Amino acid sequence: MQWGRSMIEKGKISSFQMALIMYPTIAATALLTVPGITGSYAERDMWISPILGSVNGFFTAFILYQLHRIYPKESLIQYVELIIGRFFGKILGFVYLFFLLHLGSIILREYSTFVSVSFLQKTPPFVIIGGMILVCAFAVSGGIEVLGRTANLFVPIVFLLPLITAILLLKDFDPKHMLPIMEHGSLPVIMGAAAPQVWFGETFLITLILPFLSDRDKGMKWSMILVIGIMVNFVITNLTAIFLFGGSASGYAFPLFTAIRYITVSTFFEHLESVAIAIWIMGIFIKVSMFYYALVLGTSQWLNLSDYRPIVFPFGFLLTVLGCQWVAPNFEELNHFLVTIYPFYGTLLMTLIPVLLLLIAWFRKKQRNKEQAPNQSVQ
Amino acid sequence: MKWPTIIGITIVVVLLTFYEWPKMDQHQKKEKKAFVTITAMGWLLAILLLFFPDLPGPTQMIDSLFSPLGKLLEK
Repeated sequence: MQWGRSMIEKGKISSFQMALIMYPTIAATALLTVPGITGSYAERDMWISPILGSVNGFFTAFILYQLHRIYPKESLIQYVELIIGRFFGKILGFVYLFFLLHLGSIILREYSTFVSVSFLQKTPPFVIIGGMILVCAFAVSGGIEVLGRTANLFVPIVFLLPLITAILLLKDFDPKHMLPIMEHGSLPVIMGAAAPQVWFGETFLITLILPFLSDRDKGMKWSMILVIGIMVNFVITNLTAIFLFGGSASGYAFPLFTAIRYITVSTFFEHLESVAIAIWIMGIFIKVSMFYYALVLGTSQWLNLSDYRPIVFPFGFLLTVLGCQWVAPNFEELNHFLVTIYPFYGTLLMTLIPVLLLLIAWFRKKQRNKEQAPNQSVQ
Repeated sequence: MKWPTIIGITIVVVLLTFYEWPKMDQHQKKEKKAFVTITAMGWLLAILLLFFPDLPGPTQMIDSLFSPLGKLLEK
């Protein structure tokens, strides 16, 4: 029975593809809003915060990989029932599904706000969100293999975006802006790490991909490489913002894209922000698809459905309704939520509860071994 | 001017059902139930938000749950 339940998804991907899917899943909105949030606390030291924040990324990936080793065929939504019992497991599973739905609609809201602020000022949000959701719905119906292949295609370009930006802006850089380092002590840097660490915590989503890996033993290695890759890109982005704007980088809601506006190469290459946003939309497409996929797959595991495809479009509709309006009345309120509440809300669900689950699972395993050991000696 | 929007939302829901329903076979009763429930949730929510746009949402709910902790990061 245990086998049949987890075989909703029949596709297989490699660990490398998992890392490729997860990279934009974390970095797409992180590169957009997190530098601004970090900057408001750490100012010119904001390049240190992502390095501190990445600790949570390594930790979360480690915890979920350990849980995966105990329950190799199942995702968190499924093994939570085996760890804390069916009744409480269903309740906690529901909390996770709500969390994924909530987060998915927040991402859509961020995306639509950014697109409408920078380009499509008069387009109603339901068109921007609905268009994205429709494309994502087809990707999600294709399953994990389709997601892996689109990531294969898009992510190399998305990955290079901060680096190319930094290279093209090299002549405008003023490295003196980053001095003095830690002028106000380490507290602002630590407070600035609150937002990046929860974005790193989104490595939590590997729990839904790990059971479908074709090379399971490499899962841990690629998760770690993934976190390092995101950290490096984070640091490059924040350094770009500091070198260009100094401590005032925090004044911009989207520092990376403000920086891209400054690119001119011999007055020939200008207004590259449209290219950058086109590239970024590839990243956000993978991010929305991954959260959407996690929500749909998680729900069908929670309900023990035989197939997840029937609920793809209904959830797309629900996400659109939530993302257009209900998730937050305006962007200021959403930003306030992301700055002050999300670091606690996200960390609790994505890191702390899995830690507790792992401790309970380990404890139970030990107890079971103790009970079995005397029996075996008798036999 | 709310009726055109309601009709629009309903058309989307009907189209979605016509696209997905024939793909499910007779034995997938559970899937059909899940499909109907989630679609109905979306439809009801869309209509409800049309009449009460200020309905407190999930973000406000989580906000009030975590606000004591949130003060730590307030500037």
